[in-house]
Amino acid sequence: MNLFKKIIAALAAAALAAVLAGCGGGEAENQVLRTLYSSELTTLNYLTAANQADQAVGANCIDTLVEYDSHGNIQPSLAMSWKTSADGLTWTFELRKGVGWYNSKGVFIDDVTANDFVAAAKYALTPKYASQSNNPLYVIKNAEKYYKGETSDFSEVGVKAINKYTLEYTLSAPVPYFLSSLTYVCYMPAYGPLLDELGERFGTSNDTLYYCGAYILSEYLPQQKQVYVKNTQNWDSASIFIERVEKTYNSEAASIAPEMVLRGELDYADISADILPDWQQNHADYLSPGREKCDYSYFFCFNFDPQFEDEYEPENWSLAVNNLNFRLSIASALDREYISAAYGSGLVRLQTTVTPAGFAVNDGEDYTNQTAFRALADGFGDTVTLRDAARAELTAAGATFPIKMMVVYRPDDTSWVGECTLLEQQLENALGKDFIDVCLVSGPTENFLSKVRRSGNYAFMRCNWGADYADPETYTDPFTEGNTYNFSYKQLGKNNATDQLVSSYLAAVEAAKSVTSDTARRYELFAKAECMLIENAVVIPYMVTPVEYRATRINVFDTAFAPCGISILRYKDLRMQESFIDAAAFERNRASWEAGA
Amino acid sequence: MAKYLLGRVLRALLTLFVIVTLVFLLLRQMPVEGYFQNYEKMTEAQIASGLKQLGLDRPVGVQLIDFYSSLARGDLGVSHVYRAGVPVTEILSPKIPVSLLLGSLSLLLSLMFGLPLGMAMARKKGGVADRIGTAYIVLAEAVPAAVYYLLIQLYGTKLLGVPMLGYGNAASMILPVISLAIPNTAYYAMWLRRYMLDQSNADYVLLARAKGLSTGEVAARHLLKNAFVPLAQYIPTSFLNTVVGSIYIESLYGIPGMGGLLVDVIKRQDNTMVQAVVLLFSAVGVFGLILGDTSMALLDPRIALYKSTGRR
Repeated sequence: MNLFKKIIAALAAAALAAVLAGCGGGEAENQVLRTLYSSELTTLNYLTAANQADQAVGANCIDTLVEYDSHGNIQPSLAMSWKTSADGLTWTFELRKGVGWYNSKGVFIDDVTANDFVAAAKYALTPKYASQSNNPLYVIKNAEKYYKGETSDFSEVGVKAINKYTLEYTLSAPVPYFLSSLTYVCYMPAYGPLLDELGERFGTSNDTLYYCGAYILSEYLPQQKQVYVKNTQNWDSASIFIERVEKTYNSEAASIAPEMVLRGELDYADISADILPDWQQNHADYLSPGREKCDYSYFFCFNFDPQFEDEYEPENWSLAVNNLNFRLSIASALDREYISAAYGSGLVRLQTTVTPAGFAVNDGEDYTNQTAFRALADGFGDTVTLRDAARAELTAAGATFPIKMMVVYRPDDTSWVGECTLLEQQLENALGKDFIDVCLVSGPTENFLSKVRRSGNYAFMRCNWGADYADPETYTDPFTEGNTYNFSYKQLGKNNATDQLVSSYLAAVEAAKSVTSDTARRYELFAKAECMLIENAVVIPYMVTPVEYRATRINVFDTAFAPCGISILRYKDLRMQESFIDAAAFERNRASWEAGA
Repeated sequence: MAKYLLGRVLRALLTLFVIVTLVFLLLRQMPVEGYFQNYEKMTEAQIASGLKQLGLDRPVGVQLIDFYSSLARGDLGVSHVYRAGVPVTEILSPKIPVSLLLGSLSLLLSLMFGLPLGMAMARKKGGVADRIGTAYIVLAEAVPAAVYYLLIQLYGTKLLGVPMLGYGNAASMILPVISLAIPNTAYYAMWLRRYMLDQSNADYVLLARAKGLSTGEVAARHLLKNAFVPLAQYIPTSFLNTVVGSIYIESLYGIPGMGGLLVDVIKRQDNTMVQAVVLLFSAVGVFGLILGDTSMALLDPRIALYKSTGRR
């Protein structure tokens, strides 16, 4: 290339860069992300970590066998390739060679091998280490037995290093969602000799971990700061754009971070509902909504095994909740849009299914578009007709009116309090106070789940469930036998309508689970089972996690998109933008992402 | 004196034993859910493993004996939730000096400003200094501390060009120390003013004046000297109490001290941490009192810790 051509090329590149920068969507020169965090990590030990904040360390510092891309497709990561046996029980992974373990200073320690996956699984399944998040491993043959102490020989567990770079999992039953499970923390590798050396001390500081992921936690000062630096030796370092993430601790982050963003001292802040109107008015150029999530579902449960005080008439409630028309009258009367106003205008996406839209897709077809669900669009029927039918049937059965419906909420969750207040007004207006008496009860702020939901100390309550793996089966867990949600299984054997309904539902779930190779058929059967619950108002679908606003210089559509797991916690693939993302830029980014789907 | 101190120390140890044992037993009444962060999805086997790891599967009596035998060896145990797997001493040891430094600097600052202000106010009741001082005291006492803490952070950082957050250099300590000193300065000024005005008509003051001493000399030689006696009882306790830290200031400026630690570990149901922090705070309170009483007696010979008929 002669000098003239070089100059022309340089000028063209400069012009292109200037145009991009002028669009306001240009990348920042300084790829450093500065944020605050308000709750200190409990542990850096990703093999036992139970909450998202702790699991974010693993998500960013440790690579998994497979990973999600920005459109939710599973891609090779530490595994270059994999194959499944004909019966779907054996999964063999060929590992990427030349991937290393590094310490917190970035010094190479050793290669990542199949043994590191075996050692990590053994650690996560050792009762002494008390992992609270090893459930996804239970699909592996004998894994749960080993954890429960029913076998002490780990060689019986279905995870083996065939050779240095070949890893094999043997499952106890074929599960089509196994690949998605591999993105969970309990499937991450850990350097075996380090686990042997440290035992319970593994992951108590950034020096007691080795790193093979996109980032290295170079500084970890509890109640002060966390600094992640790019792992330049990572096999996919070309996809790591943010060079450094600086997280500073402040327990008042929610109130301080927005001000620090305006001062140019931070690149990210959550904008809470109390300051949102002010920001929409005065700082709209900093403000964008969060990306809708599809991994968490909210729904209303009826309690079929009431354990509450006599004051709320549990026997009367038992009669009512086992009456189909009573449940349908509630489902029909409930104005979900009205009560969801407690979460802020336009921040809630209502849903007509328990499984969120966008969660499971097969051949481009969303699970919630299944034929079985189409009938739900017609609603539950006429409220007054259903109410009158319920009144007549329940009166004959000996129930007294109004039916007391005990609704419990957490008093420190202001949105929930507001939602319950609206629910009381709305249901009593729609059904009449002579029919139903919604009794709002403030639950405990600590140990709410064990004292309320798990102990059956409620009549009607908003509950939620987060997906464990990318398959509709995960959303059957709150309703199957032994659940601590609605206790519907306790009606089994009572020879009533609920008994028949629950039996049919459980049989439908088993039928769906037995289909492991035909995803379309599997989804169809799970949809039928889920529809059975909804049509009979055993559960009333509500919404997915409400969207929250934030001030950010990150395009959230760059990162991994996953229906469950920890992939969405990654900084990999993200790029710092020159300016903050406003609503218009957010929509442009979304459109661009959708166009690339 | 030695016998008195020995008696006080023994009673203090008994008090600590009662407090820590009570807290230990109360913690064992906490619901299981609080020990786990993923309780919603945990299996019975996971919960059982977790309780075993926490040592909660054994009888309470055995747990208590284990706790005291470990304590006798200087082992406070390992945190299970706050920072899982890290020894409690390793968590507390860097935090205590931070709160001590912050607290003692603010204590020093409040004494440096509070005492002269109180003297100036008392010197001429209703004068300019008294009016300005009273306005300051009323503001410091009436306005919730959280309000002026926030305002100081918001505008002080802009004014002085110091960072809103970050611990580790002298500049980052300026605003937290000033903020903490504000209410204490008001307290010392108010206290000294009241004391000096109360004593201004006492016999020994009238005598001193009759002997020809000026108002300033009376204040410096007699009033202030006497005022220091009750202060001597209060200051050691105040100093030791700085170990407890300031919940709000430390949170606001991200200072990694002890502030809010007890509340935090109680909320997270980290039993070993709660026991250690309660032990530390109780010890500070109990021994602060002993130190205060002893200092007061040393300063003022009229106060006897012991009387011929027995303890004071």
